[in-house]
Amino acid sequence: MKLYEFQGKELLRKFGVKIPDGILCEKDGILIYGSPVILKAQVLSGGRGKAGAVVSCNSQGEEDAALTRLFEMTLKGEPVNAVLVEERVELSREYYLSVTFDGEAGTPLLIVSGAGGVEIEETADKHPDRILKLPFDSVLGPLDCHLERAAKFVGTPRPREFADLLSRLWRLWCEAGALLVEINPLAETPNGFVALDAKIELDDDAEPRDRAFRAVLQKQQREISGRESAQSDTITYVPLEGNIGLISDGAGTGMLTLDLLRDRGGRAADFCEMGGLTSPEIIYSAMDRVVADPKVRSLLIVLIGGFNRMDEMAEGIVRFVAERKLKIPLIVRLCGTMEEEGKKIMKSADLPIYDDLEKAVEAAVAQAAMTGGN
Amino acid sequence: MSILVNETTRVLVQGITGKSGSLQTKSLLDFGTKVVAGVTPGKAGHEVYGVPVFDFVADALRATDADAAISFVPPLAARSAALEAIECGIKLLVLTMEGIPKNDVLNILNYAAPRGVRVLGPGTAGLIAPGVCKLGAHPGRMFIPGNVGVVSKSGALSYEIGKTLTDAGIGQSTVVALGGGPIWGTTQKDVVELFNEDDETKVIVLLGEIGGAMEITAAEFIARSVKKPVVSLIVGRSAPEGKSLGHAGAIIRGTKGTAESKIEALRSAGVSIAFTPAEVVNTVKKLLKL
Repeated sequence: MKLYEFQGKELLRKFGVKIPDGILCEKDGILIYGSPVILKAQVLSGGRGKAGAVVSCNSQGEEDAALTRLFEMTLKGEPVNAVLVEERVELSREYYLSVTFDGEAGTPLLIVSGAGGVEIEETADKHPDRILKLPFDSVLGPLDCHLERAAKFVGTPRPREFADLLSRLWRLWCEAGALLVEINPLAETPNGFVALDAKIELDDDAEPRDRAFRAVLQKQQREISGRESAQSDTITYVPLEGNIGLISDGAGTGMLTLDLLRDRGGRAADFCEMGGLTSPEIIYSAMDRVVADPKVRSLLIVLIGGFNRMDEMAEGIVRFVAERKLKIPLIVRLCGTMEEEGKKIMKSADLPIYDDLEKAVEAAVAQAAMTGGN
Repeated sequence: MSILVNETTRVLVQGITGKSGSLQTKSLLDFGTKVVAGVTPGKAGHEVYGVPVFDFVADALRATDADAAISFVPPLAARSAALEAIECGIKLLVLTMEGIPKNDVLNILNYAAPRGVRVLGPGTAGLIAPGVCKLGAHPGRMFIPGNVGVVSKSGALSYEIGKTLTDAGIGQSTVVALGGGPIWGTTQKDVVELFNEDDETKVIVLLGEIGGAMEITAAEFIARSVKKPVVSLIVGRSAPEGKSLGHAGAIIRGTKGTAESKIEALRSAGVSIAFTPAEVVNTVKKLLKL
């Protein structure tokens, strides 16, 4: 779950990080604020500055005009429905800092730079020497020597405060169940450090530990985006442009099938993956979701059971075909755990099965072409 | 020799009385894996398919000589169970569960590393050394003993390639699944390194996918230190940008993590690139001079 800037800042404030004074202005709200201010569109995607969605204003007239313009914007598909209005901060220097993790090394990571406000990934590519990445032990947290080194690297005249700020970010990371806590830029002012931006992503897997808090954040997001948050089941469904419906019980074989379809001149209508632990109900609802797309001309189901049971998969497929009177050609590749039982169930319902993936892919492409449409 | 496990590996199943735990225990026993103990707090004295159940790992280790563990403990309790197994001296821990909070995963890995414990996963189908030991969900019949070492992020893809090799009469030394990420206890580079030192493994098959840079790290290691032939299949060539495809780590961001960038890195490391399972088999055949 990615947080809006204002949500992230509120969380930072809770953990003792200073943020600029400000208020959130929603679409039908009226803004009366002392100038000068910064207006910042609240969307979840990045690149707001470049898109002109962060505006500095010096008078009430400028504010009104900028606000009207911001509320007419759509950034990467997200309409702007809220604007954060903040006091402007006088600063002497800007820094970058974040807490995240290195998945390959299996450690949390502290990243700092004396060049704040920059695109960090770009800097990492072009000037890796301007960034310090410090892996540390997640059980102990960052050691004093890590914090001191980070402060020395960025060259701040306030090393103690800087170190204290980093340890607060780590506490936030742990307690809120975060994946990323990023302040970019962090301003150094005569009164200490102030977080001018906040990019925080929370771990959906940690949600059950703190449901009440997450519910508040989700409610705020619904109110601003006007959209329901994505429902969390084990099914991944990504709509694509083609006409062959695709369901798999593993991400790797799903992606392989996607590639094989394209190599043979076919195109998938979706990527739908059920995860490694499924049930007849899950495959039923996966089929339901995939055939709801009117583009779909043939349905290819690719199953290779480890944790999954093929008898359960066959049961779900047979039930769906019978109850929903499936009209399009169905191609099923089914093998693995409880394969015999699964094949028996498919056979008794007169549904053909394939054993070889590449043959199944060829059949799906041919059938989709025969039934026509695009 | 197989890697990570051998004929003497004795297995403890954490979460053995759960639905998944008991079903998989049966499948491990059917394969011939020496499952010597199970742990589920509060279920001491029970048996699952003849395997004695204990409340604590320490009790299980006092009564048996388990040295590897496979965990089916639900996500929110997985950390406690894993730390217990590590604390008690288990040397290989397979975490099958998906959805463990990331900070819990980091805790497990950071607790394991200085204690010399190898963690496979989380979210992994585990591994199989055909004819020797199975410590995961791999359907036993899709694999036969031989000289090909397979490492894959995806469990299902490792079955797919195992099955295709087996259908062609080519056996495997060990087939290892790492999990879909975005955090891994064991990486492709780690497994390639083990295969490189394993006498039985003559050809290494590396199965990768879009997202992250693990395949690039493996390619760098292969270029530097691997003398054995390596064949690679990278899936997700036709994946759209910015969408997570089933694995949390399987996402292309801009030009980062694309199949092309990985294929390029592997190719320049001297790895043979295949685009379909059949091509993997044909290339392996050539390399084994079959």
